[in-house]
Parts: sequence; structure tokens; C-alpha cells
Amino acid sequence: MAGKFVHQSIKRNEDPDLITGKVQFLDDIELPGMLHAAFKRADYAHARILNIDVSEARKLPGVIAVYTAADFGDYIKPGPLQVPPPTAIKGATYTARTTLPIAVDKVRFSGEPVAVVIAESRYIAEDACDLIFVDYDPLDAVVDLEKAAQPGAPLVHDDTGSNLAGHVFQERGSWEQAVKESDLVVKRRFFINRVAGAAMENRGIVVKWDALAKEMTIWCGTQSPIALRNQTAARLGLFESQVRVISPNTGGGFGPKINTSMPDDVLLTYLAIKLERPIKWYEDRRENFLATTSERDQVHYCEIALKKDGTVLGFKDYFFHNSGAYNPYMMTIPLNTQTHTVSNYRIPHFQTEFNLVFTNQMIATPVRGAGRPFGTFVIERMLDAAAKELGMDKVEIRRKNLLKSTEYPAYTGIIGQDFVEGVLDSGDYPTALEKTVEMIGYDQFRKEIQPRLRAEGKYVGIGVACFTEGTAVGPYEGAKITVGGNGKVVVSTGISSQGQGHYTSFAQIVADQLAVDVKDVKVITGDTGFFGWGAGTFASRGITVAGTAIYLAAQKVHDKALKLASKILEAPVEELELVDGVVRVADVPAKFISLGDLAMRANPQRGVMEPGAEPGLEAIAYYGPPYGATGAGAMAMIVEVDAQTMKVKVDQLAMVHDCGTPVNPMIVEGQVHGGIQMGIGDAFYEELVYDETGQLVTASFMDYLFPQASDMPAKIELGHLETPSPLNPLGLKGVGEAGAIPTPAVFAQAVEDALKDSGVEFTQDTLSPSRIFTFVQKAKGG
Amino acid sequence: MKLEGEHVFKGPREAVWEMFYDPEVLASALPGTQKLNMVSENEYEGAMNVRIGPVSGSFTGKLVISDVVEPESCTLTVDGRGTPGFAKGVGKVQFVDQGDGSTLLKYEGDMNIGGALASVGQRMIDSVSKSMIRQAFETLDKALEARLAAKSSGSEVVDFKPPTETEFAAAVAKDMAGGLTKLPEVRLLMYIIPLVTVLVLVAVALKNCGG
Repeated sequence: MAGKFVHQSIKRNEDPDLITGKVQFLDDIELPGMLHAAFKRADYAHARILNIDVSEARKLPGVIAVYTAADFGDYIKPGPLQVPPPTAIKGATYTARTTLPIAVDKVRFSGEPVAVVIAESRYIAEDACDLIFVDYDPLDAVVDLEKAAQPGAPLVHDDTGSNLAGHVFQERGSWEQAVKESDLVVKRRFFINRVAGAAMENRGIVVKWDALAKEMTIWCGTQSPIALRNQTAARLGLFESQVRVISPNTGGGFGPKINTSMPDDVLLTYLAIKLERPIKWYEDRRENFLATTSERDQVHYCEIALKKDGTVLGFKDYFFHNSGAYNPYMMTIPLNTQTHTVSNYRIPHFQTEFNLVFTNQMIATPVRGAGRPFGTFVIERMLDAAAKELGMDKVEIRRKNLLKSTEYPAYTGIIGQDFVEGVLDSGDYPTALEKTVEMIGYDQFRKEIQPRLRAEGKYVGIGVACFTEGTAVGPYEGAKITVGGNGKVVVSTGISSQGQGHYTSFAQIVADQLAVDVKDVKVITGDTGFFGWGAGTFASRGITVAGTAIYLAAQKVHDKALKLASKILEAPVEELELVDGVVRVADVPAKFISLGDLAMRANPQRGVMEPGAEPGLEAIAYYGPPYGATGAGAMAMIVEVDAQTMKVKVDQLAMVHDCGTPVNPMIVEGQVHGGIQMGIGDAFYEELVYDETGQLVTASFMDYLFPQASDMPAKIELGHLETPSPLNPLGLKGVGEAGAIPTPAVFAQAVEDALKDSGVEFTQDTLSPSRIFTFVQKAKGG
Repeated sequence: MKLEGEHVFKGPREAVWEMFYDPEVLASALPGTQKLNMVSENEYEGAMNVRIGPVSGSFTGKLVISDVVEPESCTLTVDGRGTPGFAKGVGKVQFVDQGDGSTLLKYEGDMNIGGALASVGQRMIDSVSKSMIRQAFETLDKALEARLAAKSSGSEVVDFKPPTETEFAAAVAKDMAGGLTKLPEVRLLMYIIPLVTVLVLVAVALKNCGG
């Protein structure tokens, strides 16, 4: 649905200020009398705390105070669940052990805070941490996911009886039936280790308590300002209106910044009141790796049942999901895995079951992709394995099983992270695949290029995979739009921004509805002082859920403007139009009133107002979808592998994605590029490695490799497919995670294809050169 | 993690034993060692400054010696903690008389490390500790040579000058820069604390046994 601004690749409103540095990030905030916090963190992954000696630390000049759990008394409690328990899923069980802001009697992961220092500077606070002596009684750490789930494993939480944190079983059709009808059943085990969010800007918080006004201001680059405000207010016994959360310019979120009731926001809000001084804490990179949150490993046992012609009858997946030491985010990641395993394929029988497991590792919460890449990885790898068994072409087996463009809405029978049955609202998966295959030149590569390059001794391979991206889940978002006396428009919404281009895309929607220039629309996100309702920035839902609320609010303002103008211009509403910032009589363009003047007239200062009228050219609207809109697409990749070093070079990458109506195609492309970069990191470089005692040995960018710009493919070819979602008026679907979802699966297939002479088969992601080498040696019987 | 290694000393087992008996020699071989005190018959406390890339700080270590079979072997249990993290391990040390006037020192054990030492220092600690081990053995070789020379000449003065902390650090840096592949005798996966403690502990063990 194109407009003057919507569906146009206009340059971003926010960029001039960002590029010239005329913006404020969290660390730019300096307040008079501000103190600085540092956390003393556990060196052990699992240990009882026998004693904490803070006496030396307290003596250090410049230290204001040092606190351990004991100093906070009853204030230290497990935090609230950040997402509700999965009660909508029949038979689902769970054990909730939510985040403790500071370790009380034992530490459950390396990096968990045991004390907090408040000092005049961060330097002093850090030095004081070195003077805190903790006496631990080390316990056996629970690290291996499958061993952790076994009876008799050491317990992360002493009172739980086992480390099982939850269990979900879902089935559509009957796996047994699929096996009965099939000609072939293929089985595989997969190990998947996913990545850290690793945003360019780490987490941080500045808290100010105004003791006279009894108001708190929190600056925090959070993805959920409303939840941060509400949880803080509830904990401190304040009204929500006494707490204002402002999310300043933020250098990336990618999931981990959705978390609230973390040690920093719980403890520092309390201490800012107690000490009556503002406090700043900024996470360093090691703290980010150790103790923010990230995704982690899953182990899958998969079976696929097929007919000889490649028709898939059934899929069975039994998997373990690493929850880390606490599970405040419950089952969002593994539920996403379940809903993204067979969603785009017509597979009548699907059985999926998982165990959520506590381990002595950092808390796992979503990172861009959020469980979707796991599901995509296992189904795509299984299709590859099946194609190999059947001697079928890898594209052909996908072509045969994809849902057709006429089969929507398709009810999946599997309940997802929003606790309703997954429904594929719209799409055209076969076209996405065909377009991708064409863009990468699949047939030509297979028939001509690959044989020729192989003859020259070059190990080149191709991979093709399909994916869906469940996006834009509820519950709801809202927006408030106000036309100013200056004729410009301000829109505020409850979600916050971390670089997605909201200041432009949201403005584009408003500009079309209110016929103003896109530059005259000021967008405010992530400031609860302006808009206090909403859920947050996650699940690729910003443009679809908040964007639709903004669209609806803009329509209300549009109608209000016409109604008021109708009285002033003495013409019926039907004869009026809103064009170029004025309401005019369509047939008599000279008879008009500007939006600015209307806004002034809508707020009379003397006289009388019509009964029932509301002041201001202003409106609030909310939007909550019945279920999420599902984006989709396909990706193909050509790689070359150095047979000596096993270094992989991505020569070519083509991707077709479908996010319905792209509000700003340029921003959409940027999102897809960013997702692909993260996917390449996931597929090849990035890995969180815990040793057998639960020590994270990749807690710096020396050891945790991040793909550089030079590691990106020389050419990324994007194809856009637009099947508008019927769920919202603009036909929107999210796209923020698309690039990250299929990349590991495509990468594994392409590298496998390049090395097919060795017979190698990859059953895990993060295929670093040494890991590829190990797999190849194993395939050769070495 | 497993740690193991060996080194041949050009001297009779008694002389090697005797050298390790002298904690000062050992401390000099590993500049940064601050002290080594006996707290009970089989228990010692030591302190050491450590710097590995971005990770630095002081460690205090407690060690317990057991299974002493003089002059052949003993078992060492070490528990070191400090601002950069912790190290905990158990190791067995053996002295083998090779019959040709030389002595083979063999050690093997299990070691856990944690904190910044593990999370940030992991990648460098391996090569730093290999280098430190190599140089410690080199220093001890020279110390042994000097002691044997003094003994044969009947001199009471041992002409041995240990490297300074600066010289030692410079040599470690050189090893780090040059790679360590040319060091066939250092095949061990060892970490700084175990290394220090193994050597220091051997000395303590011998002192204990000898005393």
C-alpha cells in the first residue's frame, strides 16, 4: 500500500544528528553529584557463599558504600516473570526460578553479582571491588545440557528436585501415523550454540531520585521502558507516575536489553533513594558477556518420515533447551523453535517436545532470531539429509513440500510465544524460493560453474534454504498523536528505539495520513513521560504493532481535523480534503485552514466548547493483533572453502524476503543486511564457550569473534516480495530478524556441498575452520 | 584441565632435590613470587603477583603436600585465589634418576581456573605460562649448574644470579611475540598458577621431607 511517503526509500530523519554527534547517549549524561556503581561478580559458576568481607573496600577513599545481599534485607527477592507461564499450552509444566538481583547464599553462574560498590568515580568503585574478599565453598557446576537434565545431576536450585525448568509437548496429526505411511525415516542429532547480542553499546542505567518532588527518572537503553517503569514502581511502592523512564539514543538492542528487574535496575533505584544522589552504572564488555543475557545451546533429536518421491509426511523433534541459571523469560525461545520448525512446509504430522533445563550459565533470553534459527536449522538440515538419502536435488525436495500461495491462512496447530495457535496469515513461499534460485543462478552453478571450478581444484558449494519469521505478536502497542500550533505533528509511542529507524518509518505513516512533510513529524519513543502504555521492542513487532497504532491514531486526528474544519469552513466533511498541511474544500481550494490554525482553534482559551467535544488535534489509538503476522523468504549462498585451512569465503548471497508492505524499503534492506551479518556470525564465528566448570572462556572480543565488514559477502542480492498481511490496514509484517534466521542452515549446506567429496555432514552450527576440519577428518574416518 | 610435563636436569637426583629444597632458588626462578610461608607441617601459604595481558593482580595460594615418598614423588594440592580469579588443582610430581647423572622431573595433574583469568586471560595464559615454565627451568638449570660447580670446587659461594623481574617479563614478551613452537620440551598445557605452585611446591615438599 504505497503512499507519498509510505513505501518510499526516503533518507532517515535521525541521521543528520547522529552523524554530526548532536545526540545524547546514556554515557553522555552527567548529573550534579552523580555517583558510580560497580559490581563485584562471582568467579565461580556454582558455589556457596560462606562469607563476604567488605571492610577493606569500605575504607577506600572515595567509596560511599558497599552492599551485599544482607544489607538489602527483604528487598532482595526473585524478580517477576518477564513473560507469562505457558498455561495456554495443554500439559505444559514449568518451574519458575527468576533472577535474583544479587546472590544471597550461593552463586549460580560465573559473573553473578555478590556485592555492589557505590563510589565517587567508576575507577574507585572498580578498585574497591578488588578489596572485597569472598569466601566460597565451590560446588560441582552443571554445564552440559543433557547431563544437567539427568537425575542425580548437581542442582542449580536446591529445592527443585531436578534441573528441569519446563516441559512442553505439542503434536499435530500423528507421528506414528507418518512413520506407518512412510517409505523412509531419517534420524539425526544436532547441537546448536547460539550467540550473544553483542550490541555495540553495552547496557547501562542512570537513576535520579528527586527527594522533594518524590519522583524518579531513569535513563536506560532498554527495549521495554514501560515494564522497567512498572516493575520499579511496584518494587519501591511508588505510583507509575512517580517513575519516568527515558530511553536515550541506544547503540543496538538485539534482545538482551528487553530484560528488566536485572541487578542494576533493582539495586540502583533503591540506592539512589537511600543515598539521595544520582547513580550511573555502565556495563563493561566482560560484564556484558558474562552476565547480561544471551542465547545458548539446544540439543535436538530429529526424525523425518518421507515417501520415496520426497514428500514429507512427518517430522519429530525432541530437544533440550539451555535456560541458564534462572528462567525469567520462561519459554519464549524454545516455543519460537517449535513454531518455526515446519511452519513453511506442508507436513501433516508434526510432533515437537522440549525440556527446558537449568544450568550454571548466564541466563538465556532471546537474541535476534530468538529460537527461530534453531527450528529452521534442524528442518533444513533434515531436508538435506533426506535429499541425500533419496538422491534428490536439494531445491527439489523443498519445492515439493512448501505450502502453496493458495493455502493461507494456514493453521499450524502449534502454540507459540504469544500463547495462541500459530497462523500463517499470508505469503507466497514457492515464489520466494524460485526467485532466490534464479537470483543465485542455481541451475547454472550446478551444471556449469561448479564442475568447472571443481576441475580447477576449487572447493565451491551452494546452499538454498527457506524460512518463516513469526513477527508482530501482541499483546498491543499504542500511540498518541498531537498536531501543534506550528502545524507540525508529534507522535509518541511506548516502544523504544535502538537504531531501527523508527523516527523515519513512523513519521512516514503519519505524514501520509495527515498530509504533512515527513520532516515535520517528530517521533518520540521510549519515554514514559510521553506515553505510558505498551509492551516493548521485540519479536520484530515495532513497525507492525506500534506502526499500526500510529496509523490508527493518525486517522483519528485526520477525522477530528476535518470535523472541526467543517464547522469553521462551513462545509460538510465529505466535501473537505486534507492536502499539504491544510484542510480545504475540495472544489474551492482557496477556502482552507491550516492544521496549525486548526490545532489552535481546537483548544479554545475562552468562550464555550461544544458538549462532548475533546480539546486538541490529538488522538490516542491502540492496536493488538489476534496473532502475529508471518514474514518469510528464502536464502541462497555460494561459498568457497580453502581445503588446506578450511576458511570459508562467502562469494555470493541472494535472499528474497517478504515483509508485506515495506514502509521504507531502504530501512528494510538495512535490517536484512544487519540480520545476515548476525547470521554469518552465528554460522561461522560467534560462539559462547563454557568450560567444564562453567567458566565462560570467550568473554572478550579477543576470543569471541565477530564478523567484520570484510567478512560480509562481496555481493548481497536482495529480492523483495510483497504479500500484504490481512491483519492490519497497511499490510505490514516485521523483518528485523529475517536475515539472521536461515543463514546458519544455508551456510552449513553450502560448505557441505563444497566438501561433498569427503562425505562430510554438519550436525551443528558455528562452523569455524577448525570445526569444519574436525568434521571432515571424522568423515574420512580420521 | 589436564596439565603435564617434564624436564631433564643435568645433575644427580640428590642435587636436584636439594635445590628444590631451597625456596629462595625457586622464588628467584619465578619473579613475582612474594612469599612462601609454612602454616603447618604439610600446609603452606604463598603469594605471587601475576600479569597476563589485561589480567593482573596478586594471588594468595594455599598448598597441601601429601603422599611424600622421599626422594621420588609427592602429591600437591593447590588452592590459589586473588583479584583476577582463582586456580585450584591437584598434581603429582616425580623425580626419576635416569642413571646417567641426570634427573627427569615429571608432573601431571588437573587444574581449574576461574574469574577474569579464565574469561579474559584464557587465550594468552597458555602461551604465557609455557614461556614462564621454559624460563623457570632455564633459570633452575643455571642454578643447578652453579650449585654443582660450587660443590665440586668446595666453594661456599654459589655464583648464581637470577634474572630480574624486568628481564623475566621481557623474555616472556619475546616468547609471546616469537611463538612457542620451537620449544619441544614444553609440551604442556599449563597455567600460571599451577606452574608456579608445582615448582614452588616441589621445593616446599622437599624442604618438608628433608627437614
